[in-house]
Amino acid sequence: MVDVADKVESQREAVASGRIRMHPETLALLADGELPKGDVLATARIAGIQAAKRTPELIPLCHALPLSKVAIEFRLDEPSSSVEVSATCRLNGRTGVEMEALTAVSVACLTLYDMCKAVDKDMEIGEIRLESKTGGKSGDYRRQAVSSPIVTGASRHADPGLALATAEPTVHIKCLAELRERLGVSDLDIPFDTLESADIAGLKAALIATDARFAGLNEGRVLCAVNQVMGGDQTPLTDGDEVAFFPPVTGG
Amino acid sequence: MIRVQQKAFDAGAEQQALLQGRSDIGAVVSFTGLVRDFNERPDVRALTLEHYAGMTERALEAIVEDAESRWSLQGVRLIHRVGCLEPGDPIVLVVVASAHRRSAFEACDFIMDYLKTRAPFWKKEHTASGNYWVAERSSDHQDAARWEEECNN
Repeated sequence: MVDVADKVESQREAVASGRIRMHPETLALLADGELPKGDVLATARIAGIQAAKRTPELIPLCHALPLSKVAIEFRLDEPSSSVEVSATCRLNGRTGVEMEALTAVSVACLTLYDMCKAVDKDMEIGEIRLESKTGGKSGDYRRQAVSSPIVTGASRHADPGLALATAEPTVHIKCLAELRERLGVSDLDIPFDTLESADIAGLKAALIATDARFAGLNEGRVLCAVNQVMGGDQTPLTDGDEVAFFPPVTGG
Repeated sequence: MIRVQQKAFDAGAEQQALLQGRSDIGAVVSFTGLVRDFNERPDVRALTLEHYAGMTERALEAIVEDAESRWSLQGVRLIHRVGCLEPGDPIVLVVVASAHRRSAFEACDFIMDYLKTRAPFWKKEHTASGNYWVAERSSDHQDAARWEEECNN
């Protein structure tokens, strides 16, 4: 164990979270309090709090800490059919409380499993992680929110514009940034022979014919690049070309 | 030298690297663009920069080559960041070295004007009142058009 006797006491707090996925029917039973073992969430909450207090018995090099607060919260997430568990641990002391928060989340998830396993054995525990940590010498930490992908435009083909000899003649289409979100399309291949004419205008017409959403390509300012070079409606296309549609650029 | 990267850069170190071992450079101009905490809406908390990998590098190279054909330059460093950034973070760095100050000032200005209108980067701002994609500005196009007028004269 690290000797913490010389460390300054400070107010420390850690928040950890985790998730247990289950069948939608299991989640419905849990929400309605109809599981055979009784009140699932209350039991898991007590289990999480007890676990936080017993962390040093489980994790070899952890100090025994006089926690001033342990709070466990649950959020039932219907869209992903899961229960999100979060634990907050607080202390005035010389060492951090993230292990206590992580242990509390882990044991609360395990207890949720135990309480529901009679009706669902497929449950999955995951995404157990530290969300934030304050106080102490190493400074504050906050998990960065995962946002939309940074790079959506990476070519799937090493050499855009070069057709694969064996494949059906195809044009590869990418929608980037706001246009991708507006149209709900990221990547798409379209057979070359469906193009009304072998240029961008012909490609747009073919796309609109397959899905009316692509009418958005003619709304507002939409730019395009053929094989990563800016183009326009009259830019000719050949088999294997990579065509990207995107909104006006806003870098710098 | 052109780089597109997620991690932060050190403008001072980049400028030093450009000047290392050179005694023919008479002027160096450095521009750093930063994330503001207000833009189309107040209270911008973060910003996500997306780009079109592959085309981005080509577009930036073309802009630097254009600058080198217009002015006599002795070195250019261009770094643009992508990913999640917070207010105060540096986004873009342009360092231009030349024998004389005028070329360095003008080329740096030109590279930024063209980058803003020609390089495939897109900003999404995250604010207290929601997230939105940043719209293009007509002033950026007017700024870029200055260089075409001057070219025609």
